[in-house]
Amino acid sequence: MARYLIKRILGMCVVIFLVLTIAFIIVRLAPGDPAALMLGPDATAEDAAALRSQLGLDRPITAQYLSFVTGALQGDLGTSIYFKQPVVSVLAGRAEPTIFLSLFSLVIALVIATPIGIYAAYRRGSLLDQGAITTAMLAASIPSFWTGLMFQRYLATDLGWFPASGYGAPDASFVERMGYLILPSIVLGIVNSALILRFTRASMLDILGEDYVRTARSKGMTERRVVLRHALKNAAIPIITVIGLTFALLVSGAVVTERVFNIPGMGNLVVSAVLRRDYPVIQGALIVVASLYVLINLLTDLLYLLVDKRVKY
Amino acid sequence: MMIDKLGRAGLLAALLAGTSLALPAHADGALDIAMIGEPDTLDPMMSTKGVVSIATQHFIETLYTFDSAWNIAPLLAEDMPEIGEDGLSYKIAIREGITFHDGSTMDAQDVVASLDRWLEVATRGKLVADKVASVEATGDYEVTITMSEPYSPLLSLLAFSNSAAAIYPEEIIGESIDEPIGTGPYMVAEHVPDRYLRVVRFDDYVSRDEPSDGASGARQQIPDEIRFVPVPDANTRVEGLLSGQFDFADSLPAESYARLEGSDTAEPILQKPFGWPIFAINHKAGLLTDLPIRQAVQAALPIDDMLFAAFGDDTFFQVDGPMYPEGWAWRNEAGTESFNQNDQAKARALLEEAGYDGTPLRILTSRQYEFHYKMAEVARMALEAAGFAVQMDVVDWATLGQRRNDPALWDIYITHSPFLPEPSLTSLYDATSRLGWTNPEKEEIMKAFTTETDPAKRQEIFAQLQEQVFTDVGFIKIGAFNALTGQRQGLTGVTDTPWPFFWNSDVSE
Repeated sequence: MARYLIKRILGMCVVIFLVLTIAFIIVRLAPGDPAALMLGPDATAEDAAALRSQLGLDRPITAQYLSFVTGALQGDLGTSIYFKQPVVSVLAGRAEPTIFLSLFSLVIALVIATPIGIYAAYRRGSLLDQGAITTAMLAASIPSFWTGLMFQRYLATDLGWFPASGYGAPDASFVERMGYLILPSIVLGIVNSALILRFTRASMLDILGEDYVRTARSKGMTERRVVLRHALKNAAIPIITVIGLTFALLVSGAVVTERVFNIPGMGNLVVSAVLRRDYPVIQGALIVVASLYVLINLLTDLLYLLVDKRVKY
Repeated sequence: MMIDKLGRAGLLAALLAGTSLALPAHADGALDIAMIGEPDTLDPMMSTKGVVSIATQHFIETLYTFDSAWNIAPLLAEDMPEIGEDGLSYKIAIREGITFHDGSTMDAQDVVASLDRWLEVATRGKLVADKVASVEATGDYEVTITMSEPYSPLLSLLAFSNSAAAIYPEEIIGESIDEPIGTGPYMVAEHVPDRYLRVVRFDDYVSRDEPSDGASGARQQIPDEIRFVPVPDANTRVEGLLSGQFDFADSLPAESYARLEGSDTAEPILQKPFGWPIFAINHKAGLLTDLPIRQAVQAALPIDDMLFAAFGDDTFFQVDGPMYPEGWAWRNEAGTESFNQNDQAKARALLEEAGYDGTPLRILTSRQYEFHYKMAEVARMALEAAGFAVQMDVVDWATLGQRRNDPALWDIYITHSPFLPEPSLTSLYDATSRLGWTNPEKEEIMKAFTTETDPAKRQEIFAQLQEQVFTDVGFIKIGAFNALTGQRQGLTGVTDTPWPFFWNSDVSE
């Protein structure tokens, strides 16, 4: 177990180092000049060059890379070109909405997907099963920006049930800020419920056909106990995997939804950073997201241990 | 049924979260302004971007400003300057008793230090720097600018909020200004990047006494505070305005016009016209250094089709040739017979005359502004019909901003500009711009235009300059377009300008 953990953590470090390097290269391969963008449409090339040297962007690329790597190793991801603040604090400022948006969305996705998935598998071929599968396909196929726009227009603007966008007034309390996340969470929850639903159903279908389920039934157990105790527990591993992946995806991929609802989270920051060519912020965000991915994967694997005693590392 | 369920789920979630689903209460006396983005800097000297001007003019002021008819009016200056007989000296009296946000009092030293910095670092300041001999304090409250040659656009540059000749306390002036301390009616209270910039009423502000007229005259400080909220997605600005979240929303998509008109909470404001799309031409290198080929491009373009493709509905554009719209002092018709020719046969003949060898014409454009791209597509078809080989280089705006600085990479790039109060405020006419448009006749006209001080004569000279734009094809103006903004119903005092300000806006309704 300890050896396994050490191996995994070493592997994580390698992955993150690779991401760090690739991130550095990719953002610089894209043409475009952060200095010219900041100065506005009428600025001259000379103005841009002056600002570039002030920002240290005219240093040799290898020197920039070296200072980036040595900084990153000490937990310093550099300074945002645009905000003139450390990247770490810029990212930290965006963490709250993204983390809670991801959590709420995941909860909503689970609340929708697991009961329906289990029930659909249990009543395989029934009208509900087919209905659930069709709806799930539909929900997964509709792009989240469309769902977002529709919900925003009808539920927020027309009916006034939710705030249309943003993250609250300057003096908004934590609870008020969370209120702004409800509608986007519903949108993301619906979109992401489809995959979980399908996995739950498929996994349950496999298990419900197993011998021990028949045995449990023949012992005269209630159907409820058979399905929830015997079947679901054994069906859990693939479901946990997909939940873990969904969460990682949500943290890194709520870009469109954050944009539509103007939530100042990580996704929105990354889009703006790319448009502004704020290299340190793009790099920093990529590193954080990659680290999260690796970490969530590790946690998912460790969760298997809890769920299934047969799993050993 | 689905919706119903979801609605209930949402209600439940909201109850669990312990929050009310009612719309956020509108704090009394505060205005929420939806902007198209985050101001890149709070130092208006350092940027020529509209968002920077809109926000910073509330806390940073200049010596002069513009009234609603774009006439120059004094702001921190006591009055219009005393200009010497030779047009070389500008004696400017400065208002006494003006306090900066840090509590210090403004005097001539502050103004001199600020103008020196402007001449050194600001894009527009550098434009005049080589014509300024000195800026001196000639009294406690008097500054004299001495020019080395007459330059009539000087006052417009001093009045413009964009790359502005901002007045700061002498003490804070350095290479960069981190805390924007000005004399404006509002002061910065809090800035959370990408969330909001909050400015609050400055209690020690001394307003001018003249009636408010555009940005000139009294600045009444009606709202207690103003929050500039960056909302990059246009549709999100529309929904936020319609749901009552914002009191004003900048730059809305044309498609939302009907919804805004039918709304009980908001109303549309059409700025008619707002600005002009521009095909900027590379005079430094490549295909278009050849006049007949430039004329061929101008002859081939179907301006009306391009505008229609770009804006969809003639509520939003005008097929108008002159450089300035109807009603402006600069308006004239010189040269406009070459506008919107849509004559591909003529273009073909011009190409033959020039011995065009099929070198591709490179159009550099971006989809960040969808109307640029749509115009380029229609232009491409017309140009191909005339016999051009056209190469479309579609890139994001950041890339365009970089590539256009290299004359080897493009023949035409597409941009746009609001109508500016004074022709010299755009660099398009300058030989030193990235277009590099120059010919002896035009330079002579330019010289006369920038040294002449009599407004009537300047208008006549501008007509000659406009004629040059068409005959020498300096750049191509693609008509004019309107801009849609929106405001809360009952909000008063928002002036029709590309750089709206809110110190006179009444929110009591």
